[in-house]
Amino acid sequence: MTFNRRRSLTGLLFLAPYAISFVTFIVLPIIVAAYLSVMQFDLTAKGSIHYVGLQNFKEAWADQYFWSGIKATLSFVILMVPSMLVFALGTAIGLNAMSRGRNAVRALLFLPGLLNVAVTAILWGWFYDGTFGLFNFLLKKVGIGEVHWLSEKALAMPSIVVMTLWWTMGGTAIVLLAALQQIPRHIIEAAALDGAGKWAMFRKIVFPLLTPVLLFVVITNTIGAFQVFGQPFLLTKGGPELATRGLVQYIYETAFNNYRMGYGAAMSWMLFAIIAVFALLQYRLLRRSVA
Amino acid sequence: MKRLAEGLKNGLMTFLGLVFLSPIVLMVFTSMKPESEVLNPESAIPKHWTLGNFQHVLGWSEEAPFVRWLLNSVFVSTSTTLLVLTFSSMAAYAITRLKVPGGGVFLGIIVGAMMIPGQLFLVPVYLLLSKLHWLDTPAALIVPATAGGFGVFMLSQFMRSVPESLEEAAILDGCTTLGVFANVVLPLCGPAVATLGIFTFIGSWNDFLGPLVFMDSVRDYTLPVGIALYQASYYTQYGLTLATAVLGTVPLIIVFLLFQRYIVESMSSTGLKD
Amino acid sequence: MSPKAVFGGMLAFCVILGTIRANDTVIGGRKKTELSFWNGWTGPDGTAMLKMIREFNTENPDVEVSMQRIEWATYYNKLMVAELNQRGPELFVIHASTLPRMRRAGFVSDVSDLYSGAGAIRESDFDPYVLDQVKFGKEKIGLPLDIHPQGLYGNVDMLKEAGFVDARGNARLPVNREEFMRAIRAMMKTPKGDATPSVWGYSMTMWRNNFMSLVPQFDGHYLSKDGRADLANPGNIAALTFMADLAKNKLVPPPENQLGWVGYRQKKVGMVVDGVYMLGDLLRLEDMKYIGGPIPIIGNHAATMADSHVLCVKTGLSPEKREASERFIRYLSAHSIDWAKAGQVPARKSVRDTPEFRAMQVQYAFSKQIPTMEYPPRSTVLFELDFEIDHATEMAIRGDETPTAALKAATVNLQKVLDRENKDYGTGATP
Repeated sequence: MTFNRRRSLTGLLFLAPYAISFVTFIVLPIIVAAYLSVMQFDLTAKGSIHYVGLQNFKEAWADQYFWSGIKATLSFVILMVPSMLVFALGTAIGLNAMSRGRNAVRALLFLPGLLNVAVTAILWGWFYDGTFGLFNFLLKKVGIGEVHWLSEKALAMPSIVVMTLWWTMGGTAIVLLAALQQIPRHIIEAAALDGAGKWAMFRKIVFPLLTPVLLFVVITNTIGAFQVFGQPFLLTKGGPELATRGLVQYIYETAFNNYRMGYGAAMSWMLFAIIAVFALLQYRLLRRSVA
Repeated sequence: MKRLAEGLKNGLMTFLGLVFLSPIVLMVFTSMKPESEVLNPESAIPKHWTLGNFQHVLGWSEEAPFVRWLLNSVFVSTSTTLLVLTFSSMAAYAITRLKVPGGGVFLGIIVGAMMIPGQLFLVPVYLLLSKLHWLDTPAALIVPATAGGFGVFMLSQFMRSVPESLEEAAILDGCTTLGVFANVVLPLCGPAVATLGIFTFIGSWNDFLGPLVFMDSVRDYTLPVGIALYQASYYTQYGLTLATAVLGTVPLIIVFLLFQRYIVESMSSTGLKD
Repeated sequence: MSPKAVFGGMLAFCVILGTIRANDTVIGGRKKTELSFWNGWTGPDGTAMLKMIREFNTENPDVEVSMQRIEWATYYNKLMVAELNQRGPELFVIHASTLPRMRRAGFVSDVSDLYSGAGAIRESDFDPYVLDQVKFGKEKIGLPLDIHPQGLYGNVDMLKEAGFVDARGNARLPVNREEFMRAIRAMMKTPKGDATPSVWGYSMTMWRNNFMSLVPQFDGHYLSKDGRADLANPGNIAALTFMADLAKNKLVPPPENQLGWVGYRQKKVGMVVDGVYMLGDLLRLEDMKYIGGPIPIIGNHAATMADSHVLCVKTGLSPEKREASERFIRYLSAHSIDWAKAGQVPARKSVRDTPEFRAMQVQYAFSKQIPTMEYPPRSTVLFELDFEIDHATEMAIRGDETPTAALKAATVNLQKVLDRENKDYGTGATP
């Protein structure tokens, strides 16, 4: 046996534990999910599982709750991703400009990300409470009446977005800060010598250099936002009037409250298709904007 | 003038940091208020400091075994981290250095699979775990978590930048492949492995959907689901629920403070190699 | 630190923790019949039940019952899946209204023998209507432990201030629509210069339960006689219209901010309608004076909604486990006066007839509604029905739909579910 051959055989042994896990918990579930999505399968009537073709997908297409779920999820994505991007980029630029105490502030911004979703929801549920909440207490102090943060249809989703921003913005800002710091100083200095203004410098030099990272940030945040579940589930239970019941929550309730496993799997595939389309679109658009 | 602008920038960002910190400080303060003061936010700082809420939470062991939840969370998160680090680093080494046939294609598949939303796996993994009789055991939370591709992807990126000459020297010295991996490659990847470990630990510690769906026995809950259960039954008493929140967060904040330098530094340096 | 040391340390740590966990899991001694008992009593009711279980375990040294509580929201899913995986509990609680759906999964055992033979619990000790809930053909698939009707809670001080006192000067609750509206108006307090009241006479709690408590008063129903969805009947519309009008006329806190139960316990609301089980939360308060009573007659006659916690046994148990399970159920039923203390109405008439029970003000007052109470419909699609009612009441009370339109939409959606059920399982709406 040659040295390289032996090495690659050893390599297979090194790869095996992860590969087995990957096949068992990712590849196999994908196959099962595909199988389930064309079956009628109710857990409470176990013996009755049978093939129904594309009926689950057709049902979703005609299901008003499926569409209200998509609407809620989309409204979260549309509010969340751009505000996250603007806010995190602004913070990163601010941090980059700091001359003292940058590391301490960076740590403070990251701290909320350590809280789990249950704790975050308890805390903000108290802030947002209509009568006993902290925000309304502060508003009353300055003479503004009660605001129904979580139970006014127009406000519920934005309130959840603000909470999520506080919760997750730090990590994204740190990633962007790292990218900013990697831009070689001499490029900036050369541009400054050429008399470039601050805005022009940002637009012509910093932004293009940041694009790969921005692409990464936008796509990962979009994928994450499409999967929003914990925050509305714990804060509003999906209300008011289903305004915050996203698709993942509906899938969860379909599969685990109404026991319709097949229908749940079919809707999961549809969610995946939507995410894939969005991720691809963003990739294309952002790539083009640099070129 | 320039110093003024600089001071302004520093001040503004420090203020932002404090704004982000304030909810957590408020949570800690409020958990130390007696119930009568909690709903009356006249002053952020308690008039009467008390540890009564904590005593109540910790003393409620039969109904809400908080210490047990803590133990479960530490066990699950540590085991998950250990397994993820072992599997991912070995796989990354095999792909980037041992040149496994098809390794590059496999890496591509792994990265592609990262795009698939986790919800798609929820029902099938659930059925699979039930077939394995792993539901309601810690294995249900630990083992499936090792399948995620992020670790392999990240460590592969990092290992490519480790100079091959060091490895060759070790091989010439008679090191086995495992020896090279453990004694040469892993130490060189220290920061990247530490980052991955911390991310994995935080992710596992805060996982909500997994334990919500896979665990039944209250005694086997991890903290997030336990805290949510506590909140559901004591929703009328903010002081108590905030005390559980503080207790559930403190261990993580300790981990964060211990590894703060690693977390932030290596997060900045490794996440973005390409 | 070398990576090897870190990995080794973590491994050792995991092994130690795992050992501690494993050892900690062993409960009870050997040679005992171990029974697991699941329910959703996560509040003070669970504390009372734990106490009863401890007493049972002491009195029955050969049996060890351990209780497992899961919040009702996820309870049924967990129970069903655990049972289907053969790792579910021997004993469990199912709401009377949920029995039809759970029965279909085939893990709930017939316990007719509890009602006959030695040490039997006499059927005549139950109200026939309650017993009917556990009857499926010839089978009886559980024993009702309690009855939990919805009723009216009032704040004593606020009632007195509003002039609701009896001949002896004690506070009393309004008993009809006119009195109820008068009480609501009399209790509202609006500080000078403020637009909204700071104290309210009444606040809705859970809209669905509030609605379903009024439906029988207006002779409404959910399913037609032939099992079709029929939510938009005149009775239901009248009940929902009453609720929507309260909101429209600003006699309750705005729909976006129902103070509900928390408002009541904070003394910002004079009266609320809720289940007898909420009493447990009031018992925790030291400085609150309250009374309970029947829901005022808003519709055509007195009535309310109720349900029961039914004690059930898993199918296919060994004779020892089966015997021990039935012994436990008999014990709980016989000691249901202790259960009543936590805020429940015992299902057994003999227990309700004791002076001890009659001395429990709220429980006894709520129990007077038993002759006119109605349970949710016996249907396999109850979860879906609940969801549709949640949605319809929300739309109507918030004023985004008329009660008629909201209930009509809910009927259409529910009929879709029923059609699917009939096609797939042929079970129809009522078993």
